[in-house]
Amino acid sequence: MAVGARIARERLRGVVAPLVLVLSATAVYALAVLEHRGGGNGAADSALEGPVFGFGLPILAYLVSERVCDGARLDRSVDVVARYGADRRAALLGVLLVSAASTALSAVLLTVSALIGAHTLHDASWASDLRASVGIAAVSGAVYALWFGAASLFGKRGGGRKWALILDFLLGAGSSALAAPWPRGHTRNLLGGMPVLDMPQSAAWLALLAIGAASVALSVSRTPS
Amino acid sequence: MSTLTFEAVSHRELTRVTATFASGNHVVLGGEQDGTAALIELAASIAAPALGRVLLDGKAPFLQAAIRRGIAALCAVEQLPPARTVTDALTTALRARGDARSARAVLDAGGLGHFAACRSATLSPREQRALAGLLALTHPAPSVLALFEPLTLIGILSEDFVRQALTRATSAGALVLSSATRVEDALRIGGTLSRLERGTWLDPSNAYQPLAEVTLRVRTPEPRRLAARLAEAPEVRAVEWSGGQELLVRGADLTRLAEHVVASARSEAIHIEALRCQPPSLEALTAARAAATQTWYERAQREQRALQAGTEPPLVQTRGIH
Repeated sequence: MAVGARIARERLRGVVAPLVLVLSATAVYALAVLEHRGGGNGAADSALEGPVFGFGLPILAYLVSERVCDGARLDRSVDVVARYGADRRAALLGVLLVSAASTALSAVLLTVSALIGAHTLHDASWASDLRASVGIAAVSGAVYALWFGAASLFGKRGGGRKWALILDFLLGAGSSALAAPWPRGHTRNLLGGMPVLDMPQSAAWLALLAIGAASVALSVSRTPS
Repeated sequence: MSTLTFEAVSHRELTRVTATFASGNHVVLGGEQDGTAALIELAASIAAPALGRVLLDGKAPFLQAAIRRGIAALCAVEQLPPARTVTDALTTALRARGDARSARAVLDAGGLGHFAACRSATLSPREQRALAGLLALTHPAPSVLALFEPLTLIGILSEDFVRQALTRATSAGALVLSSATRVEDALRIGGTLSRLERGTWLDPSNAYQPLAEVTLRVRTPEPRRLAARLAEAPEVRAVEWSGGQELLVRGADLTRLAEHVVASARSEAIHIEALRCQPPSLEALTAARAAATQTWYERAQREQRALQAGTEPPLVQTRGIH
């Protein structure tokens, strides 16, 4: 697993990944400031539901997954160490771990940027919003990373990852049973938005965790040793 | 004792290759376009075959990490694990195969200590291959050593180091499978010779087939009479006439067959309008070429052994294979 984590970390190394993160955080901050100036009270919710969790997080998670897998299928992305005898499943878990941690951290940074832009420093709700949102950001980020990892097991070059992003945008936006398998609807529910199948927020947490666990299980079961 | 088996394997250039290698030194003659790169990649378990199976002692190494740990390989194109420096890349590879040695120790063993601090991104493809070759050749206990053109490493690695590593692996009971484009390189590597030609496998037993049969196309206005005359001749294996003015005359030796056809026609006063040789099939040509190569290789090996033993080499003529 350490070998997998090591190659994933090396693939994320460089200026591109931090640059994309900084640009995304800046864009999210600017949009949140605009929301704050235009809308006032609901600025934080709008900034989180739209720019952060609606667009920024899924796209960043997709990019991180693409990068740690070196643009290939998740199972083939570890071939570079599997040829020396590393267990593909263990190495793959290392790759997923780094991918999940990086995406969770990125999601937290985006969330903090959005909240800074949407609040003045004297707002009483600032601290409570931060407390509530950071946990959602971390879990959603990790789940998105695992989800894209599992999706990249489909297609010759991991094209399933792209389809997972598109379907999350299209089907996850609804609240019917079609939205249940995608992280988007449950994340929206946790932020106080429209729930999927009228689920309570506690069930949305469980649904997100189940999606993450199912993604890991699928990734491991579809990969040979 | 390990046995590597290819069962009806089709993969990239390879076409239904069935072959078995036991422990010892094996060299496969052929270039990348003949499928040697694909063969080594499959032997190294870097890829699973598109069709067929590759088994090491009855198990598929591509599916089992524990078996892969005993396989050391050098492929046609190599890429080290992603890392900032060569030392980091080699450390990742060594940890992946459960080797506790330091990267520095491995580099020093091959005389490549100066690469330790180099950035991986600045390495040329040849240097990457040399470092991958070093990793393969320094495997402490390989069950299989699969090497694509190992002699091309010489220059970065010393010839002595490469040859000693091959000898050490063979004498420790490993299965050493190397490829070589030139017969001279195959000879330097030594071992049992096989051949891949345009994806077709030719093992030593069927590489001996000579160009068994030649066919002459004879155009004459009296094919029936000529066929009757030719059928009596011992040089002629078969005469085929399917109507029309053309006969197919088959035999073993082209010159003798042509002379006999002309003599028979003359003796019966039969006019021959055209006489031409039908080209042999590609399979027959391939087999004949492989046989010639095999013969050359074995003669050269005998000469080399005789020279090493200090005796007079046998008086044989060797010619380059074209």
